[in-house]
Amino acid sequence: MASQQTLDEVLPGCTICVVRVEGDDALSRRLTSLGFWPGTAVEVVRRAPFGDPTQFSLRGYRLALRRSEAVRVIVGQAAR
Amino acid sequence: MHLTGSLQRPVNFPGSSVEMSQGRVRIEGTELTVVDLPGLGSLQPISPDEKVTIAHLRGDDGARPDVICAVIDASKLSVELQFVSELTSLGLPMIVALNKNDVARAEGRCVDPAALEAEIGIRVIETDGRSPRGTQLLGQCLVRDEPACPKGLPRDLIEEIADRLQAQSEPRRTLTTRLDDVLLQRWLGLPILALVIFGMFQLVYSGADPFVGWVEMAQGWLSGLVEGGVGPGALRSFLIGGLINGVFSVFVFLPQIMLLIALIAILEGTGYMARAAFLLDRTLSRFGLSGRSFVPLASSFACAIPGILASRIIDNERDRIATIVVAPLMSCSARLPVYVVLIGAFFPLAWSGLILFGLYALGIVVAAAVAWCLRRTALKGGQSTLLMELPTYQRPSLRVVFSQVWIATREFLILAGTIILATSVVIWLLSYYPRPEAIHAKFEEQRRSLAATVLDPTQRNRQLDKIAAAEAAAFSEQSWLAHIGKAIQPAFAPAGFDWRTTIGVIAAFPAREAIIPTYGILYSLGDIDAGAYDLASLDKPVEEVAGLRSVLREARRMDGRPALNPLIALALMVFFALCSQCVSTLGAIRRETRSWRWPAFTFGYMTVLAWVGAVAVYQIGSLMGYGLGS
Repeated sequence: MASQQTLDEVLPGCTICVVRVEGDDALSRRLTSLGFWPGTAVEVVRRAPFGDPTQFSLRGYRLALRRSEAVRVIVGQAAR
Repeated sequence: MHLTGSLQRPVNFPGSSVEMSQGRVRIEGTELTVVDLPGLGSLQPISPDEKVTIAHLRGDDGARPDVICAVIDASKLSVELQFVSELTSLGLPMIVALNKNDVARAEGRCVDPAALEAEIGIRVIETDGRSPRGTQLLGQCLVRDEPACPKGLPRDLIEEIADRLQAQSEPRRTLTTRLDDVLLQRWLGLPILALVIFGMFQLVYSGADPFVGWVEMAQGWLSGLVEGGVGPGALRSFLIGGLINGVFSVFVFLPQIMLLIALIAILEGTGYMARAAFLLDRTLSRFGLSGRSFVPLASSFACAIPGILASRIIDNERDRIATIVVAPLMSCSARLPVYVVLIGAFFPLAWSGLILFGLYALGIVVAAAVAWCLRRTALKGGQSTLLMELPTYQRPSLRVVFSQVWIATREFLILAGTIILATSVVIWLLSYYPRPEAIHAKFEEQRRSLAATVLDPTQRNRQLDKIAAAEAAAFSEQSWLAHIGKAIQPAFAPAGFDWRTTIGVIAAFPAREAIIPTYGILYSLGDIDAGAYDLASLDKPVEEVAGLRSVLREARRMDGRPALNPLIALALMVFFALCSQCVSTLGAIRRETRSWRWPAFTFGYMTVLAWVGAVAVYQIGSLMGYGLGS
């Protein structure tokens, strides 16, 4: 199993896979409903001028997340 | 939605609608009530507007829906289907409106509605937010068929269905991607945003300028008509100074408001607003606001009331209150006519954009400072979330833009119009009365002696006009309004305001724009020393109100010094930029924060800041030599 990291650690230009969403609160539920399902491919598109938030591309649309939100998503290189 | 003919915005940005709106439509003999709800991401709400939607869906507000029409975005099929599946747990009949399929088609990812229907067992109708196509079909379907209560689907199945029905677009060189590469580029993004915003204001100012002149002309023409038709006296004065003045002061900046609202709506419709929020989120968060504060604050540039309402999309309560409390500092469209008149009267055209930009920037800077302080003191702690979609760029629907402009204009005309008109009438009353016979008698005496001594008609008319001006001035000087103004004036003397400007400021408290008709009344009913006017201007009837800008330039105080000069005008504009002068806004704050504390606080801090700002500008400017001198 490839190494795991959190989504905020992934550099722009890379595409990785979601492993799971950390936590059990409103934020994690919302992240799940936004499409961060296990096995989902997420592309890290770019960071905003001051480094936050970050633009992602998943499931056919573009989403902006802050570092404090992206850190909840555990990602890895595992193929689907 | 095209169903009812009334329009809501297509949901492409969080917080596009924050309130339920309802409409009725008759389709094939059956009357339907259509309720448009704020957008929803899941059945667990994260912000006040989502709570509204969920409450309605569950029937908490008394009226359980008969059918749910889920409008889904074709380009996010899998995510949307997951949510639709969640909705089935409510146990209500459902139809799916497949929206934005045209956008998906352009990206090579369109979805076949019939195939989707077969897979999920729910009626699917393709719709397009920008045209009535499909909406008719939707309406018919709602009336003719009996939509069923669908069953939910497990997520694995949903992913599988989505994969089957929707081709994944390959190289992402779509227009949106290419535009974002420029507009969100690391070094270009913010400068471009600043240019866009600056360009917007410059456009509004220059676009509106000819209208200001036309309306002033129309007002002068109408006043002239009344001049000719009605004899001098209270009625004529009321019609010109109170009624016409009041009505036109509302009209004069309608073009500016409409233009600004239209531009903001167009920008939002393209999807650029989300990019702006993306670029500004970090900065806004630094000051204790949220990236989601951007839409409420940007809307406040048109009018703070919808801006404050839009704050419902902010999930963190403290961020929300901070946003609400600083929203009135975003120079709203009501301030614009004040700026336009004063800048036009006292500054060269070439400077106008810069000064305007500076005033708007002042509001923003002060707002940032106030928010920062608040979030460190009274509103400490917690943080809201961003979680914001960046929609595909698209041509904004002109129909939606028109509708937004129309709705805002109508609300503004009704709400502000009544207050401003009422204020104008009251101000006129206070400035016209009392009218002691003794003063009239004194000037009649002068007229009689004039008739006896001066025989040349031209010279006599000139003298008569001078006497009329002096008489009007004498009446004005002892009016109730003058007494109030003179009593308060010492408080504003350090800012360089004379008593008339003080009165204008006071009159502006219920509604900012009221200062314009108030000035009109004060300077037309009471031209001060007759000596202030040159002979040519005496040919005009004293009560003509057209050309406020030139009147303001030429107005004088009792001691002969100008009533206003560029520095005082600047101090006055700074005062308006920072002052809380809108009863309607305070009312909106009370409603949204559910307490009197915050509107009171807003009124207090803004008025104090405004006074300090105006005084600072005048005093510092005087030290530099731009003041009036003694």
